[in-house]
Amino acid sequence: MRSIFGIAIVEVRLFLRDRSNIFFVFIFPLLLILLLGSQFGANSGQARVALSGGSGTGLAKALSEQLKEDGVQVSSAGAAAVRDQLSRGRADVGIFISDDDSAAFAAGQPADLEVLMASQSAAQAVLQEVRASIQAVSTERRQRSLLESAGVGAPEAATALEQAKESVQQPRVELVDTNDATQVFQGLGRFDLGAAQQLLLFVFLSSLTGAATLIKARRLGVIARVMAGPVSSWQALAGQALGRFGIAAVQGGYIMLGTALLFGVDWGDPLPAGIILAFFCAVSAAAAMVVGSVMDNDAAASGVGVGLGLVLAGLGGSMVPPEFFSETLQAVSRATPHRWAYDAFADIQRHDGTLADILPQLGVLAAMALVLLALGSFLLQRSLSRPL
Amino acid sequence: MTADVQTHRAQVLGVKGLVKHYGAHTVVDDVSFHIGAGETYGLLGPNGAGKTTIISMVSGLIPADAGSIELAGSAMTPASTRVKGHIGLVPQELAIYPDLTAKENLLFFGRLQGLHGKELKHRTGDVLELIGLADRAGEQTKKFSGGMKRRLNIGIGLLHRPTLLILDEPTVGVDPQSRNSILESVEGLATEGMAVLYTTHYMEEAERLCDRIAIIDEGRIQAEGTRGELVELTGGVDRIDLHGSGNTGAAATALRRLPGVQHVDGDASGLTLTVHNGPGLLAPIVAEAGGAGMALSSVEIVRPDLESVFLHLTGKALRD
Repeated sequence: MRSIFGIAIVEVRLFLRDRSNIFFVFIFPLLLILLLGSQFGANSGQARVALSGGSGTGLAKALSEQLKEDGVQVSSAGAAAVRDQLSRGRADVGIFISDDDSAAFAAGQPADLEVLMASQSAAQAVLQEVRASIQAVSTERRQRSLLESAGVGAPEAATALEQAKESVQQPRVELVDTNDATQVFQGLGRFDLGAAQQLLLFVFLSSLTGAATLIKARRLGVIARVMAGPVSSWQALAGQALGRFGIAAVQGGYIMLGTALLFGVDWGDPLPAGIILAFFCAVSAAAAMVVGSVMDNDAAASGVGVGLGLVLAGLGGSMVPPEFFSETLQAVSRATPHRWAYDAFADIQRHDGTLADILPQLGVLAAMALVLLALGSFLLQRSLSRPL
Repeated sequence: MTADVQTHRAQVLGVKGLVKHYGAHTVVDDVSFHIGAGETYGLLGPNGAGKTTIISMVSGLIPADAGSIELAGSAMTPASTRVKGHIGLVPQELAIYPDLTAKENLLFFGRLQGLHGKELKHRTGDVLELIGLADRAGEQTKKFSGGMKRRLNIGIGLLHRPTLLILDEPTVGVDPQSRNSILESVEGLATEGMAVLYTTHYMEEAERLCDRIAIIDEGRIQAEGTRGELVELTGGVDRIDLHGSGNTGAAATALRRLPGVQHVDGDASGLTLTVHNGPGLLAPIVAEAGGAGMALSSVEIVRPDLESVFLHLTGKALRD
């Protein structure tokens, strides 16, 4: 074991001595997650309503309180700003309150509110929630007017209505979006899906650069020298792979922690999430060792590594969610480690899955890592017979 | 050093009937030799003779297709991980990490050899002193000169005090000063009881360092023995080196027909001949070469040496 750790430590040390690695491993992934999340990510799932006008009036206050009580995120702005938010998809529904509306509400008369809906699919559902909230405000106002017209003082009427509300269970409207894609990604925040996809893509890509370092070590004669000592080909390869595993695990952990802190990504239960990452890093490092043992040119290996990493990421759902794949592509994607890790993350991120729930995915990833390590060890021993 | 003395040394390495094929090409063909403790054994031959392949098999890097290797009393194969601990390999290429310092390189390879703690620290310091890099220990080796890298390359092989030190062309591309320093270091190792397997295509190095020498060509050992024993094989022939330009090909053809000339070999810059009675034949050789169109710039008669032996045995000059 000492030789394996010795080789791994040197691998990490050499990695850290190359400053360019810091940008590509630690900074670039977060930038990409931020970009993709802000452009394509789903919202947090909370309905967003923008109010315009009626500032300080009873109508605006009652409507705002009711919407918040119904779980809606409420913001206020001028009419132009609200229209801008709707057009940019930053709000789902806009409510425009005129002075006449406020006056009518205060007088207990019907008010004619202008409501605009944004174009995104989720806005339709939010509009229903807004209608329910407006209905609730309207009903309460009408009840209060009736009590006041029956001679009850305004404060007493308000208190009586409050007590009635507490004693009677109000009917609720549960909105269910029947869109398949919406159901599949239910519970995901704006950055959650993209973060998991980019995590897998970058960890695999970074690990494959280990193929080039293995080829360089072979070209330098270091690997031959190592294996001329009391070190087997398996140990030499395991040491190299462990070094790459350590780098990948640190990068993956950094992305998980960074996205959680900066973008509020919910990775689910940290323990299974960490285990998925560890197993995926093991497969990635082992794959790098196979490429590094088969190929003899480090520049070509870097190119192949990037190409292979992107193709596998694409097939494995790290670019387009595999839920949108055809049946055939679904089957193909299961040949990639990305897909198994993606499914495992989906289980714990979206469905509160436990370690037991993701055991099948972990088993497949472990098998992939072991097969690739054994293959790499065999190929590395054979590579010693080839001139570089 | 005589052959009789060799037989009393404890055997460190025994190689019997070693064979290696690459496809249809046989690169090592029935090679056998042994090395005793404190003995320096040389494999002398041109590039491509099979020296590095033999070393790769002895080091357990590649399997032999036939034959056996016994190191320190145990069979050696690529799977003999424990036995490999007896070997210190100094490969022909600079097998060091350029981005690590000299000390980090030594510590890395030392750990792989099972050294650790104070022992590793002391050995590292000792080796840095021995190879003259103690004051540059903290520098990345990519900043070193070729000679310094070569010295470090050798130092790594010595770090764990191996039973058998294998040096594969350790002076290739080294300046004369560093070369001399390396040769002096190797001379000192045998006196400490270390067995040394030394490959080279430099005749002078083999003559200076090796107790016994195997002359190898095209994968086969052509002859083996001490320097004196090998020179006797030539039957006392002299070597004549003709340097010059012009039609060396025609000159070679003409000289081969001259009585007393055994072998002629060379290229556009000169010819090497083995002859009986070199001084007596010098005049007709010069005349014949000049008559065939070769413009001579210098002529040298060399008494029998390993170069002559190689030429005598293979019909080729060692430099080829």
